[in-house]
Amino acid sequence: MDYIKIDKLITTSIYKQIASGITKAVASGLLKYGDKLPTEKEICQTFSVSHTVVKMAYEKLISEGKIKRIKGKGTYVTNRNNFHTSLHSFYEVDIKNNDSDIKYSTEVVLFDRIHKDYSAYRAMKLENGEKCYKIVTLTKSEQNPIVLQKVYLPEKHYPNFMECYKSFDKLYDFIEADCCNKEIGNLHSIFSAINASASDALLLNLNADEAISFIRTKIENVNDEIIGYVCSYFPGDFSEFEVIVHAI
Amino acid sequence: MQSNLLEMITIDRRSTVDYDLQLKESVKALILDQSFYYHTVLPTSENLAKHLNISTKIVESTYTQLTSEGYLRMSESGNYQVSFFELTRYFFDRNTAVFDAIKSLGLSPSIECLEKKLVELKNDDLIKIGFDPNNGNQFLHINRIYKGDNQPIMILENYLPISVFPDIFEKFNGEEPLNAYLKSHYGIRAEISNRIIKTVNLSAKLAKLLNERKNAASIQSTNHIYDKFGRLIDYGQSHSISSYYFQALIPKTEMKEYFPNAFK
Repeated sequence: MDYIKIDKLITTSIYKQIASGITKAVASGLLKYGDKLPTEKEICQTFSVSHTVVKMAYEKLISEGKIKRIKGKGTYVTNRNNFHTSLHSFYEVDIKNNDSDIKYSTEVVLFDRIHKDYSAYRAMKLENGEKCYKIVTLTKSEQNPIVLQKVYLPEKHYPNFMECYKSFDKLYDFIEADCCNKEIGNLHSIFSAINASASDALLLNLNADEAISFIRTKIENVNDEIIGYVCSYFPGDFSEFEVIVHAI
Repeated sequence: MQSNLLEMITIDRRSTVDYDLQLKESVKALILDQSFYYHTVLPTSENLAKHLNISTKIVESTYTQLTSEGYLRMSESGNYQVSFFELTRYFFDRNTAVFDAIKSLGLSPSIECLEKKLVELKNDDLIKIGFDPNNGNQFLHINRIYKGDNQPIMILENYLPISVFPDIFEKFNGEEPLNAYLKSHYGIRAEISNRIIKTVNLSAKLAKLLNERKNAASIQSTNHIYDKFGRLIDYGQSHSISSYYFQALIPKTEMKEYFPNAFK
């Protein structure tokens, strides 16, 4: 815990010194999301300061959303970038935010050709045995996962898939590009709240059971055929969706 | 009907995936795509087990798991019933009263008022929310549960400025639909609602009120409501039961707006 430095001879209150030490360590990247902080007792003993002072420092950081206390486990760094978007455009995570310097990078964590999947196949009205490409991507901003997406594209709609496939930075562009040549008709999305499963939590850098904004999107072409299905998992605590609605 | 439901639930005997997991995924998928709609009564464990030629225990454990995940619940008659549903497009494109949205689901809506009091907000809080401190700091604070068929669906907390609704504390009993009341008694219409939607784990207190387990995932909506002059007339926050979801359809005609590049 060498990031905490206390000078008892200056007028800056000790709790502020503790809090600012941790704040700086988080800002510089020395402390990362999920890192465990020393217990209050450890800080008391190391620096010979009162328990109240440490408590005050931690409470200040908790109220600022930088750290989080998990009962029976300890205190953890929770500082992560918030993802804020319009509810209408949540599926376009590849949008480049022009007015901020937040950079997103998307990597493919799984690329597969499957022949069954209960939920996805049902949603796409596919029979077991029909081939379907499955691409799981993780979009991050710096080291923070912003969204996990499972993309399903039935092979029958993308016969040239392997030749076309380069990267999945822009799903909707990919679908509409010359090679696939699909015209998107409707997008039908369902927004719901779920608790993170152990594997989703691992990829999203969350604890299991933490809340996730779960969005299922059916992509239809102009003939109302389902040509794709996307499951998006946004870490609940760090994602906001804004919508403005008008009276009828 | 019952036999129809039976036909729809399938497992694959050639698969290496355990039957209980297969069964769970199969039932869940039927619920999610609304083949099994809200209130659908599921086949009894015995019937389903017999139909699929598996042990009753597997079915029973699947139903129990789906119940703990909020997809099913035990009905009064002792059958499992779908408890997952949506309030049609409620959040998405129209400022529909929750009360009416519940009604449109075919449920009988009711509102229970948990708390109704006059509060004074600090200037800092007023500014943070977006109220003008010059208009006074007195607010009616109400905390209410919206129910459908007497089951909790959503908790909604509101702050209403006394400067806009002078006698609302005395007159409003807390158990009527709010927007309709504001319109009929003050002639003020909730014209625009700006919502920030996110997903949170329920606190123990909210979970208890919503009949959920602590930490169940819930859609939270923080709302700023304005009248036609752009005046902030209501600030509120809602939490929904975990099985609540809503749909957003972007139709062909609106595609252009969302994919400007694709239509260059």
